[in-house]
Order: sequence, then C-alpha cells, then structure tokens
Amino acid sequence: MSIGKVAFAMARMRKFAFAQIAVCSGATAYWHVKCCIGSLVKLQLTQTKTIEISLPGLGGGKKSKKDIVGVEMFSGKPEGCPAVRLYRKKDTWHLAAVGFAKPPDGEMPECWDDVSKQPSWELPRQFRAPSAAIAVNSDMGSFGQASADAIIQDMMRGLSQGPSGVAKQTTDSSVGKKRLGLKRGPAASSTGTQSTAIEPVSAKRPLFPDYGVPVSENGRRFTVRPFAEEGFHLAASLPEFQALWLGRLLPEGKRPTACSIQVAESALMASVLAQPTFIEAKGSLLALIFRADAAFFAGYKNGEPVLWRRCPGKCGYIHMREAVKKTLGVDDSLVDSVLEDSLIDPRPALEPFLHPVLEQLELARAYLAGKQSINADKVLLLGLPRGTEHLRLYAEETLKLKLAAPDPFDGITADKGVVTDEPHAFLAALGAALAAAEVEVTA
Amino acid sequence: MNGESFHLNLMKSGEVRSSSPVRLRVMMPLLAMLATIGLVVWWGSSLAQSIIISAQIKTIEADIDAKRKDHSEVMEQQGLVRELRLQIEQLEYYGNGVRAVGEPLAKLAEVTPVRIQMTELSISPLPPQNLTPPGKKGPPLWGPTTNVETQKLVIAGRATRETPVQAMMESLDADEFAGLVTKARKVNSFRQDSSQSKDGRRLLAFEVEYTMPERRFSK
Repeated sequence: MSIGKVAFAMARMRKFAFAQIAVCSGATAYWHVKCCIGSLVKLQLTQTKTIEISLPGLGGGKKSKKDIVGVEMFSGKPEGCPAVRLYRKKDTWHLAAVGFAKPPDGEMPECWDDVSKQPSWELPRQFRAPSAAIAVNSDMGSFGQASADAIIQDMMRGLSQGPSGVAKQTTDSSVGKKRLGLKRGPAASSTGTQSTAIEPVSAKRPLFPDYGVPVSENGRRFTVRPFAEEGFHLAASLPEFQALWLGRLLPEGKRPTACSIQVAESALMASVLAQPTFIEAKGSLLALIFRADAAFFAGYKNGEPVLWRRCPGKCGYIHMREAVKKTLGVDDSLVDSVLEDSLIDPRPALEPFLHPVLEQLELARAYLAGKQSINADKVLLLGLPRGTEHLRLYAEETLKLKLAAPDPFDGITADKGVVTDEPHAFLAALGAALAAAEVEVTA
Repeated sequence: MNGESFHLNLMKSGEVRSSSPVRLRVMMPLLAMLATIGLVVWWGSSLAQSIIISAQIKTIEADIDAKRKDHSEVMEQQGLVRELRLQIEQLEYYGNGVRAVGEPLAKLAEVTPVRIQMTELSISPLPPQNLTPPGKKGPPLWGPTTNVETQKLVIAGRATRETPVQAMMESLDADEFAGLVTKARKVNSFRQDSSQSKDGRRLLAFEVEYTMPERRFSK
C-alpha cells in the first residue's frame, strides 16, 4: 500500500475519530445519536433540533457507481444468471459485458436454519466490476405500490403471513427449478394496491421507514421509495435471512461485492431508464414489461414512478407459448418459429392470450390519462423475446395504439464484440445495474 | 429525473463490503494500532526526554545554589578591592596635592625686614563642602567637591613705615616663593595702628592677602 493510501486512510480515521469524540462528548449533554444510517449520523441536539453529519468512508454512501455489474438471480433460465456489466464514460453508459454466469452452489434459504449454508460465489472475469447489483426472484419477496398503512401492516405482519398490501411475486412453480415454492399463507392480492384485513402479528406499530433506507421488521426487510401518486409509496421487501444470504454471497476483497439487493420487479421497472424513448418522452410514458411468468404495466411521470401493476391472470411469456402450443398443436421446439415466421399466422392462437393483456393496457392508459394527465399514445414493449410483431399489429388494430419494442440496450453503447442474441433476458439485470448506479436521467 | 427513485435497495449500508483486497475493517484497526504504538513510543520518548531534562535542571540548579555563595563572596571581595583601590587612589591624589610650604616659609623669615613685626600669618580655611548628592539622606560627607583647591595666605603685621612692607612684598614676588604664593595679591588694609612702639613712634598696621598656587588632587 502506498504512503498516499496510508495517509488517506489515516485522514479518514482521524475524521471518524473526531466525529466519535463529538458524539461521545455530546452524549453527556443534550447530544444523542438518534440513528446511524451508513455514513449518515443523526445527532439530536435538543428535543426539537436534530442535525445530520455525513461521515466519510462508511458504508455505501451516495456516491454514484461508475462501473457496476447487474445480476439477476434465480430467474429460472437454464443458461444461468443473466449478468450485465455497465460502465460510465464521458456521460455515456457503456456495455462492457453481457452473458450468463454460473449460478452459486446451493439454494437461497427458505428459513433461518438455511442461512448457515452460505456459499461463496464468484462471477466470470468479464463481470468483475467493483460493485454488483443483485436482482433477485424470490417467492417470499414483494414489490409494488401501496399506501403507508398497508406497508406498516405488512411490517407488523412480518414473515409469518407474508405480504398482502404490497404486490407479492408470482408463485408459479413451473418457472425453473430455482423458483421457490411458497410455504406459508394464502396467496396475496395480485393487484397489490389495497390492503387485506389480516390480523397483524406484532402489537407494536412500527415507524414508517425513511425513503431509501432499508429497515428490518418482524423478520422481513423493507425499503420504500416515494411514488408520484399522492398517498402511495413504492415498497419492496424480502425475508431478512434471504437479504443476509444474498449480501454475503459475493466474498469481500474480491470483485465484485454486492452493493445493492433489489427485487426483480423493481429492477424491471428501472430497466427503461436509459431508453432513448423514455428520455425523449421526458420520463412520462407507459411501459408493458413481459417476464416469463407475468406481465407488468409500469407508468412513469417526469421520470418518477407513477404506476406499477401486474397484469392479472396468466400473462407471461411462457403462457403465450403455451397458448400457441395448445391451439396450434405444435411442438415446443417449433413455437419460436411460429411466433417469428410470417408463413403461419399465430394470431388466432394468440388472441385469447393477448386480449386480456390489451384490455388491461387500455385500463392503464385510461388511468394515466385521467389521473396523471399522461397521454400514453406510445407504449414501450419490453421483455418479449418473440411475437412482438404480432402483439404490435394486434394492438394497432384493436386499440389504434403504437407499441414501440426497442432493444433493451438502446441508449447504451456496447463495446466492440459485446453482443447477445437474447437481449430481453437481461432486462432485470440491466435495470438492477441502472437503478443501483442511480443514474441521472436527462432529457 | 433521478434514477434514485427506482433504487429500492434492500441491502443495508452496514452490510456493503469492499471489493478492494485491502480490507478497511482489517486495515483500520491495524493502522489505528500502529498509530497508537507510534503515539505511545513518541509519548514515551518525550517522557524520557522530559525526565532527563528535569534531572539536568535539578543538577544545574543545585550547582548554581552551591556557586551562588562563592560568587557573592567573590563579588564582595571584588567590591572591597575596588573600594581599597579607590582609597589608595584618593590617597595618591592627596599625596600629589601636598603643598610644600615649609621651605618658602623658612625663607620668608630671611627676607622679612627687621622693621616688620608680623602679627598674623595664616592660610584661610576653605568653607566646608558637602560631597553628599542633593536629596540623599544621611550624615553629610565632607570633602573637596573638585580636584582643584585654591587658598589665600594672609600676612598681617606692623611696621614703622611702608618701605619694609613694600620690600617684603617685592621679595615674595621672587620665584623661590612660587610654591607658596602667586603674584596675585590684595592689600586688605594699611593703616595707622593705635599702639605705639617702645620709642614712642607711631606704628602702621597692614594686612596683605596672597593667592596661593592651585592645589591639585590628581595623578
């Protein structure tokens, strides 16, 4: 280690020591350390006055990441974990690597007893950025928009009964081996906008968490962000043991280490941040995001989230394939050809699948137009690897609506030789990286 | 527009680990320990140095105390020497200021005409002069205020006529009396005396005041 690094480390230590001295000396009088949030220390001077002191070099901090890898875990893809490495150069995001990484040995814990089986995971060389943002697909996780009361009820309910007010992830066990079966209460509301009347476990009413600060309550970890619609918040949660397990997965001292754990839906919502269409629309548009097992409507207003809604029913890409297979009676290997080949018209097979999706799309548009004054005459279509053209035509015919289906990596400059055949498979990984980098979206 | 709104990070900042091979949680205590050791060593060396210096100070102070007595004695002796030297010097001044008047006075008897009867031969005493500086209390210190002293020689007597007095005065102008008187003289009185001589002649009384040569108290 050079002398400069030693001096720098000592300077940081000295500052930290000064802060500690200030805190310790103040503790005898009116000064009280209210809470310590990473590099931020709140000092209560009096009963009404509180100051915040930012200590350097502690925790993640607010510093924007310049080189980051986004990884989607337990996506059920047989190739492995989709991973995307992004780096920022001259105010432009570059794609340094994209591909699938071998998943870690062992499975994500489903109870506290499994936490001890902690594997160590290393990513391939091309993904060894300093930091990693993990987007996780967990049946025990939740993500969605909810009112403050619903979030607090979920916090009180904790791990025992699972989320209700916040939209719970799908529990379709057919999506890959890593999809975890839910071993607890009944499935929650798929719409996730209203709270059910399940009795809380904890009698103590927890405080509503600060935005962007994860809190642990009753065995679950919650984090909340503001929502553009008044009275609602964007909330995500995971069981505490899963968050701990994921946080320790990437070993210290080796690239990369985890800096962010996100629920996959949260990452999907952030995947549009670099899209030129999103930037051109000044962050106000509607996106239809497909996943293997579900479809989501994401609304944005001035770059802030304003709608997140799961399409009710079986609306995932695998359901689309099932519909084609069932109706046309084709083999699994021929479904892709049917969805892409213009010689066979799959629309009669697709219509029963697409119709409810487009109905919900129309509802979402009406909601944005009526409540948020967003004229969503152009909708982003993401995450659908095949059949995009059929969906676009059907939407144009039935709704007179133009669906833009861009490449998920549009707006990101790919390095030479960095290509992928299935860009939509990396949507969550890309979104996780962009969200963790906390990119500034400029029009 | 800010991407921060989409970052629903479930990882607590305290759980974030560094990817750097140099682990801060290892290096910080290590550096803190090194800094502490360094401080202890520095503090120890400073303490030892201060102990040595204080011991040296004590030794020097004891040495000074021991020498202070000798020093005062030496200074006293030096003062005494100075005083004695001054006294000797003063005596030398007085020695140099001795006026040899015996020989001229012996010759005065020879040159004094027989018709003169001297009634007084006196050297007027100087008024007492106080050497004590003004404002200083204590008994007065009498002595010459300058190193030059001038006195008057008064010769008084009777004569039958003025001629012998004139002759005596001319005789005193000679060089052999230069040690006794100068040529500056003043006839204070020359008058008819009330007394008469044995032969019934009336006598003249005279008084002549001579300025004596300067008496110098110097080397």
